[in-house]
Amino acid sequence: MALLYLILAPYLAWLVWAAFRYPVPLSYNWRSLWQRKVSTLSTAGAISVVVAIFVVVLSLDQGLSRAFVSSGRSDQAIVLRPNSRVELSSTLDRDQLRILKTSPLLASDAGGPLISSECVVVRSLEKADGDGSANVTVRGLEPAGIRMRSQVRLLEGRWLTPGLNEMVVPRRMQGRFMGLGLGQKQDFGGRSWQVVGVFDGGGSAFDSEIWVDVVALMQAYRRTMFSSALVRLGSEKQVGGFAQMVDQDKRLKLEVRSEPDYYADQTKAGQPIRILGNLITVILTVGAIFAAMNTMYATVASRTQEIGTLRALGFRQHEIMASFQWEATMLCSLGGVLGVLLSLGFNGIQTGATNFQTFSDVSFAFLITPGLMFKGLAFSLFMGLAGGGLPAYRASRIPLTEAMKGG
Amino acid sequence: MSGEPIIRLRGLAKSYYRESLEIPVLQGIDLEIPAGGYYALMGPSGSGKTTLLNLIAGIDRPTGGELEVCGHTLNGLDDDELAAWRSTYVGFIFQNYNLVPVLTAFENVELPLLLTPMSRRARREKVEEALAHVGLTEWMEHYPRQLSGGQEQRVAVARAIVGDPELLVADEPTGALDHKNAEEIMALMEGLNRDLGKTIVMVTHDPKAAHHARHQIHLEKGVLDRTIEVNR
Repeated sequence: MALLYLILAPYLAWLVWAAFRYPVPLSYNWRSLWQRKVSTLSTAGAISVVVAIFVVVLSLDQGLSRAFVSSGRSDQAIVLRPNSRVELSSTLDRDQLRILKTSPLLASDAGGPLISSECVVVRSLEKADGDGSANVTVRGLEPAGIRMRSQVRLLEGRWLTPGLNEMVVPRRMQGRFMGLGLGQKQDFGGRSWQVVGVFDGGGSAFDSEIWVDVVALMQAYRRTMFSSALVRLGSEKQVGGFAQMVDQDKRLKLEVRSEPDYYADQTKAGQPIRILGNLITVILTVGAIFAAMNTMYATVASRTQEIGTLRALGFRQHEIMASFQWEATMLCSLGGVLGVLLSLGFNGIQTGATNFQTFSDVSFAFLITPGLMFKGLAFSLFMGLAGGGLPAYRASRIPLTEAMKGG
Repeated sequence: MSGEPIIRLRGLAKSYYRESLEIPVLQGIDLEIPAGGYYALMGPSGSGKTTLLNLIAGIDRPTGGELEVCGHTLNGLDDDELAAWRSTYVGFIFQNYNLVPVLTAFENVELPLLLTPMSRRARREKVEEALAHVGLTEWMEHYPRQLSGGQEQRVAVARAIVGDPELLVADEPTGALDHKNAEEIMALMEGLNRDLGKTIVMVTHDPKAAHHARHQIHLEKGVLDRTIEVNR
């Protein structure tokens, strides 16, 4: 869209210049729009729906991307079995982990070296709205794993006690799934797990995960293999060195991926939704542009005599063109403002989508940011330019003698 | 009241083309109209009187001959130059008033002045003066739909004179009015000619309206038939 605006920039600049320099007052166009309330409002209404959908689709896309992109730290890396794109299909044994834990490149804090061996399983949970169930990711981790996810904040209760059947859940999932209240229990892996804490994942992928102690989880599921290890290095630059070290150690046969890279790859999970959203938006946009064009053609046709009068009085063709282009722009911008207001109704709504790589649920919130609202308005402006251009040109080219007859 | 010719037509011709078929509307018109003249263009439907008026007013272009109005040869002017010329030299009065419905009487009269570098205050003075001249000072904030036909045409007259053009062209100015209002408009136009020295060229079917002019030009099948001086 930025490219489109770059192409349209000279035209836009001329239009803005025309608003100040040309003699046809903009109030004339604004009042003319209100002269035909029904057609103006119905066209603006159609445009508002398209703009609202556009903003909501962008917000969905942004919500999904944010969930993944904000999950990684550039000085952290995930260690997986080679060619495993996701943790779910990766395995690490205890010996491999023991070697990793001795690496001199690991950063450490007061609690010891920052490495967390983790195990990921998928578990089906009943949805709160009664609409069946959805898969959610259950992550078993070590205390270091919690400290390493600095974007995660505890809101209520406490963190896990190692070895116990406890879980901490994200606030975002509480509204969407049953039985995740503080103190409530869930049964899985043949054990009963109690919610002891509620956290906020800051919009990251962790907002879609239930966390439990890794040892307890592996015992419950009778696992002997971990899924992955999360490590923090001394600095971002050491990630490469660490990867080289792992690569060269014949005992390991593991792959190191930087955490941001790993999660950026996961944003592909939103691809089907994004493609569908974009497709719907494109189809609706074409429809809305034609609606605006149709309204403007009808406007020009019904005002042939008025245009002729203005021309007779000495207004020039490009002044008439700018005037009608402004009218189309006002019409579509009105739709844009209504659409943005409409999209605000979605702000803060929690929802989920299926990650097609892990087949588990990704929780995120629609966030209608000022940036998205601006994009929605810019989009309506584009519809005004695209839908109003031809009718405005036509208005300016009506032969003066025809216009004088009133068409 | 008559002076140097303000309108000079030499062998003026206008044809329309329909699928390469030439339809002549005006042929070989030679005419001089002095400054300060008041001429009625008359003739049966299809005689070419409105076409002649459009040519004189710079709304249409001739296909032959010379056209000089208000000291400018119009033949060679492009669209923008013609528009600029019209805004400076010509005031228009139409049969259906042609006011912009979404603008007030004041704003309608102000329209031609928006094309000049005049300040807002100067424009206001001019518009008020023009509206006072047609007796509509009280109605300046009204929209056309709130005015009677006669009042609308008076707003149109005010719009035509606000820029102080040398030439006024009127196309059937009384065509949509009842007898009383038509008489009022005719009296107003006569005053513009007599008191302000405006040159007026008016197309009309109405013999009573034509009687207000000083000269009547009769057209017949696209050629000038005769010019008559009106005796009053």
